[in-house]
Amino acid sequence: MYVKVENLDFKYTSDEEVLYDITFTMNEGEVVAILGSSGSGKSTLLRLLSGLEIPNQGSIVIDEKTLCSAEHFVECERRSVGMVFQDYALFPHMTVAKNIAFGLKGITKEAKSNRVDEMLKLVNMEEKKHVYPHELSGGQQQRIALARALAPSPSILLLDEPFSNLDADLKLKIRQELRLIMKTTQMTAIFVTHDYDDAAEIADRIVYLENGHIVHEEVPKKH
Amino acid sequence: MIFGRRLKNSINLFSVVSVIAGMLIIVPMLNILVELFSPASDTWRHIQTHLLRGYIVNTLLLIGFVAVFSASIGLFTAYVVTRFDFKGRRLLSWLLILPLAVPSYIAAYTYADMLSYTGTFSRALRAIGLRHGINIMTLPGAVFIFVMTLYPYVYMMVKSALEKQSASFTENARLLGASKFRSFFTIVLPLLRPALVAGTLLVVLETLNDYGVVAYFNVRVFSFAIFDAWERLGDISAAIRLSAVLMVIVFAIIFLERFLRGKRRYTLHVKNRPILRKPLVGLNRYLLPGSLWLIMLFAFFIPLFQLFYYARLTYRHVLDISFIYLVINSLTLAITATFLTILIALMIANFNRGRQSAFKRGLLKVTNLGYAIPGAVIAIAVIVFFIDIDHALYPLYRLFNPDTGRLVLTTSLAMLTFAFVLRFMAIGYNSIEAAYDKVGEKFTEAAYSLNHSKVSTLIRVDLPLIKSGLISAAIIVFIDIIKELPLTLILRPTNYDTLASRVFRYAREEMLQESAVPSLFLIAISTLLIYILTHQKKKGVRIHVRKS
Repeated sequence: MYVKVENLDFKYTSDEEVLYDITFTMNEGEVVAILGSSGSGKSTLLRLLSGLEIPNQGSIVIDEKTLCSAEHFVECERRSVGMVFQDYALFPHMTVAKNIAFGLKGITKEAKSNRVDEMLKLVNMEEKKHVYPHELSGGQQQRIALARALAPSPSILLLDEPFSNLDADLKLKIRQELRLIMKTTQMTAIFVTHDYDDAAEIADRIVYLENGHIVHEEVPKKH
Repeated sequence: MIFGRRLKNSINLFSVVSVIAGMLIIVPMLNILVELFSPASDTWRHIQTHLLRGYIVNTLLLIGFVAVFSASIGLFTAYVVTRFDFKGRRLLSWLLILPLAVPSYIAAYTYADMLSYTGTFSRALRAIGLRHGINIMTLPGAVFIFVMTLYPYVYMMVKSALEKQSASFTENARLLGASKFRSFFTIVLPLLRPALVAGTLLVVLETLNDYGVVAYFNVRVFSFAIFDAWERLGDISAAIRLSAVLMVIVFAIIFLERFLRGKRRYTLHVKNRPILRKPLVGLNRYLLPGSLWLIMLFAFFIPLFQLFYYARLTYRHVLDISFIYLVINSLTLAITATFLTILIALMIANFNRGRQSAFKRGLLKVTNLGYAIPGAVIAIAVIVFFIDIDHALYPLYRLFNPDTGRLVLTTSLAMLTFAFVLRFMAIGYNSIEAAYDKVGEKFTEAAYSLNHSKVSTLIRVDLPLIKSGLISAAIIVFIDIIKELPLTLILRPTNYDTLASRVFRYAREEMLQESAVPSLFLIAISTLLIYILTHQKKKGVRIHVRKS
């Protein structure tokens, strides 16, 4: 199994959101949607996988590397996990190219530039290379956030409510694009959403989360 | 046709007051520029050949060092109180603002006296057989005084920016493989740039404005030179030329900042997820809070204890009926000038709401000009302006009193009040504008649609909604005015003293111990107001507006 999550428990100090005994596995290249209502713990699950939060117990193994277990915790900057935040969080003081290049380390300047161009081509945004994030529309910002997360070739991509900030028309278009990009890159990915249509369109499998428990799994019927 | 209709529609109380205020600000400044084209005097030629280079070098050295150290201390203190949790954090987070209540010149007199041969510190050292070689009355000494009393401007701005900075950015940087060190220098710090620069710019402008410290320490910078040309050499034309050079330096600094900023922006709409404070561990548990207390000690407690000690020695002969007059003078002057500043700023803020135009933007720039121009320059501009007005009005004066002198307004408090309003308008305006921004225009438009006039809407709808912003604006302006020295020294009528000018006079006459009581009064008033300012923000009207 490419991703193996076992018995993950988590509690915020304020007790507001909790996860109980989360266990699931994923194959390489598989796209899984975590579907749940607000407060079900789905964003917290992503934060645990990325290393932004430390679980109370349980283990996470991705690509045969133990990221987290009872005696072991890999810091988020060493996990090679890509994440697209709900609000994209593009660095406002950097151009699009610099945003994408931010995660590229230990390679030559030329290799960096080539990788940036490759990513811009992937998301079809070559002409926006030197603009600042505030000059982009919501949909464009999302595509750049995706390119930035994919640039360092992460072992897994996490997307937190990727369509929540988009208008209905744009959402349909971006959804199809995202699916295409996932398939082109063969990226293993988890995205959380509260919308069944989003999950069904993009994911190979849907995991239902309710009050911090996994309650059901299904393979969606494609439209 | 349309233009004519628009013009007619836009003539109202707010626009008329705004335009008059704008003109009253710009005309004295233009006077200075016009004076530049008059033939140069011998004094100016002497200054130009022998002194000007020194003034420029000293001024740049002073503001350069003050800027770097204030920015560093302001950033460090703000970062520690917003990012870490430790005992006494809440108390320190507002105590660190308090050095603003200590006017720079008072800190300078106190330190200079403490470190002098007969001062408390030197005597204490000699008692245990030690000596110190510190001479604070130098340029580095002035840097120390300015940094200690002005860093809170940077602290307040950076703290507010750090509190608003979303955790998303730093989390994202770390997920992209950046270490904590790299994410601080590539993300946190650059995003703080506007706050850091704005705070540091205020510190630089206040340093350029100062006269009390540089005069006492004999540090030959521009404000010193302007006073010297005006008072000692009696050459107003040379003072004006020096003022013009100083204005060029100020505008060059402001434009350089704008140019360097370029197209970049430092904000983007992201969900505000505050960064959780981390508890301090290990040695840092003592080191970080300890360093904050150390800054407080030098910036606030040491000057304060020293002043209390002096006050105990001198209060019996300082606290007399003349002192009460002094307090009344200071308070009435500060209250009147604050009231006028806020009233005019409110009119301008109202005028500037709604549809934007090039005219409005221009007027706004003029309104904000005053704070960028050092007090000594404003003083010279205002005095020239008032002499012109007095000359123009002389025939009118004679109608009422045939024996009148030529200078009526110039020798009255009106001139000083006018200068205060001119200098502090920007501060009042910006606080009020920020309050209006928070409220939005929906309530005002609703009132207009219910057939309320502009004035009625202002009184019944706008004022209650922006009350807390208005109080903040008044407090900040009041504190600035009551501490103000350069304008007061040049423009006050003969034999008229305020707390600030009396402190300066005592210091100049080497009666530092006597200056303690008025100094403490000034610090007490400012401290009380800063306390109200920092603690009133939590209250206020709660407003829910649906963003369209």
